Amino acid sequence: MEKRKRIVSFALVLLASCLLYVGDAAGSTELSDEAQACLSCHGRHGIIVTFQNNEFIEAYVDSEKFKASAHHALACSSCHPDFSEGKHPRRTFRSKAQYQTKAALVCKRCHRDEQIKAKSIHAVLLSEAQKGRAVVCTNCHGSHSIRRVTGARRFTSEEEYCMKCHGYPLQMTFRNGETLPATVNISMLQNSVHSKLSCSDCHYGFSPEEHPKRNFGTPRDYTLALSEICRRCHFDKYTKTLESIHYTMLSQGNLEAPVCIDCHGAHGISHIGKERALIARRCQRCHPGVYETYAKSVHGSALFTENNQDVPVCIDCHTAHTMENPLSQSFQERIPEMCSNCHANEAVVGKYGLSTAVVDTYLSDFHGVTLKFYRMQKEILNKPSKPMAVCTDCHGTHNITSTVGPDAVIVKANLVKRCQKCHENAPKNFPDSWLSHYEPSITRAPLVFFVKLVYKIFIPFLVAGLVLQIMLHIWRYVVNR
Amino acid sequence: MGEDTLITKERIRRFHPARIAEHWIHVMIFAVLVCTGLSQRFYTLAVSQWFILHLGGIDSVRIIHRFAGVLFSFGVAAHVAFAAAGIIYKKWQPSMVITKKDFTDVVHNIRYYLGLETVPVQSGRYSYKQKFEYWAILTGVLIMIGTGFILWFPVTITKFLPGEIIPAAKVLHTNEALVVFLIISIWHIYNAIFSPEVFPLDTSIFTGYLSRERMLLEHPLELAEQKEATRSNSPAPS
Repeated sequence: MEKRKRIVSFALVLLASCLLYVGDAAGSTELSDEAQACLSCHGRHGIIVTFQNNEFIEAYVDSEKFKASAHHALACSSCHPDFSEGKHPRRTFRSKAQYQTKAALVCKRCHRDEQIKAKSIHAVLLSEAQKGRAVVCTNCHGSHSIRRVTGARRFTSEEEYCMKCHGYPLQMTFRNGETLPATVNISMLQNSVHSKLSCSDCHYGFSPEEHPKRNFGTPRDYTLALSEICRRCHFDKYTKTLESIHYTMLSQGNLEAPVCIDCHGAHGISHIGKERALIARRCQRCHPGVYETYAKSVHGSALFTENNQDVPVCIDCHTAHTMENPLSQSFQERIPEMCSNCHANEAVVGKYGLSTAVVDTYLSDFHGVTLKFYRMQKEILNKPSKPMAVCTDCHGTHNITSTVGPDAVIVKANLVKRCQKCHENAPKNFPDSWLSHYEPSITRAPLVFFVKLVYKIFIPFLVAGLVLQIMLHIWRYVVNR
Repeated sequence: MGEDTLITKERIRRFHPARIAEHWIHVMIFAVLVCTGLSQRFYTLAVSQWFILHLGGIDSVRIIHRFAGVLFSFGVAAHVAFAAAGIIYKKWQPSMVITKKDFTDVVHNIRYYLGLETVPVQSGRYSYKQKFEYWAILTGVLIMIGTGFILWFPVTITKFLPGEIIPAAKVLHTNEALVVFLIISIWHIYNAIFSPEVFPLDTSIFTGYLSRERMLLEHPLELAEQKEATRSNSPAPS
């Protein structure tokens, strides 16, 4: 009874659409009669097919899209062979995926493996299929809206073309059996600094026409190779990294040494520096110990607890790309410069009640002057320098503590140990020979203050007295003659 | 100070060859100390940096300065020891000792310069100018030797003294060095070179002799004493 009803209605619809077709004969539509008949129902919203697992799809075909598709001239039954004018069986599927897998098998009726294998991406997929993984043509190519293969030009952008596949869960398998997801989160890409680039700007060699098969041993090999791409635009940064300790480690065979992608990410690249805490966290991935120490320091704790954007993060001292070996002499020698970037800048440290005199008092004292000459000697005389105490030798590096408040006592107490690193057997009085960055005053180092004061007065008097005597002597001599 | 003084027709022996040698030695070491010291004090000047780099760097300059300092200390020690020994054992006259007359001489001479006195001061072996210069230099040098050693061995010094001694010694050393340098470069150089009475150079410390003419003008009392001494054949004044 039910079946009869259906057939009758099908026939009626067919008749109606034939009439419509006649009326529209002058139009450009090239749909088959059968398609038109099917579309009279399936061209309208509302037909829902439910699967056993309660997933459902709408059995709706956008007639406009279908007309625009590569298959527009085919009859529906060409791809849906179970159905025809007189046949509309009711089928049951476990899930949407099962249905799609099954439905896609029909593609092979026309598109033989031997034919599609010529394209390397299909070769990969076919080998996957042989291993038992479901390869669903329609996942990439679409179903009723299927395009001509060369018809990528019909996509509004290359991105849209690529996302046709890479928007779905895909993965790439490496020779060692490891896999990496090859899925791109499009919203991440669109929010990145590279939102205006096309996929092939970075993934060169790939295009709607070309999809070469790559053959990497491990995911790491792939990452290293892809990082090479960045230099096509960021050559300045690339040349800087060639001098870095990370590159040195890499060239020495340590493949874990970070490359562009490791710090910057890939599709989600954003402007670094907006959120300084994030910069430190990037380094944390490989340097967790240093990060822990830094987080407890006066700088790190201000960053993480108060979100203070004035404090230095890793790259402010180590730089982002040049990144010299921090144990090298030349790095050590530049430490006073690094600290003075902030500590000699009233605009930065002034609001915390810190003195900007700390840099000058260091630079004009024994260690500072010696360091200045060592650097000059290295540059001009090519003379290797010896280690010289810099800021970090007394204050620490990643574990810098405050020199005001309760921590000050600890800094002071530890000072003699720091002195003893170079001045063997330095007694407990020894650190006082350094005036702790203070200019001598009546309260701080009164002895030094008074000696200075006496000479400040005495020297001009002496010079004036001597010169006056000489003038008088000459005057008398001239008068006597 | 203990030289035999010969009276010749034109020239009067004033300095023993040992004194001449001593002056030369001190001049040379002093020059080394001034160059290596002032270049460290005024290290920001281009000329200081040029000098330091040409001596092979800051470490070399410091070593040269310290060892020149040691030599100078020996020179000064020898000078003081000889003078003391001479005064004690050879009965030299302590002619360098400042007396009340030197202070009155200062006033007298300034009055003379201003035209309030008709004659200049009558000086003995050393004029008040030479005495004050000598003592100023000697004290300065002793201060610098002391502070120099403090700066050289800060670890040892702070075992016994508070740490503040070190920066105080540095301030004292550099300022006193400047004082001595200014006295030498203004006062001594004027009196030995540019003063119209001696120009172009007072050669007495290099030859050991002074003309009778200048002796009469500058050290009349000493000349008179020498005449007396030769007459009575008593030991020469020091």
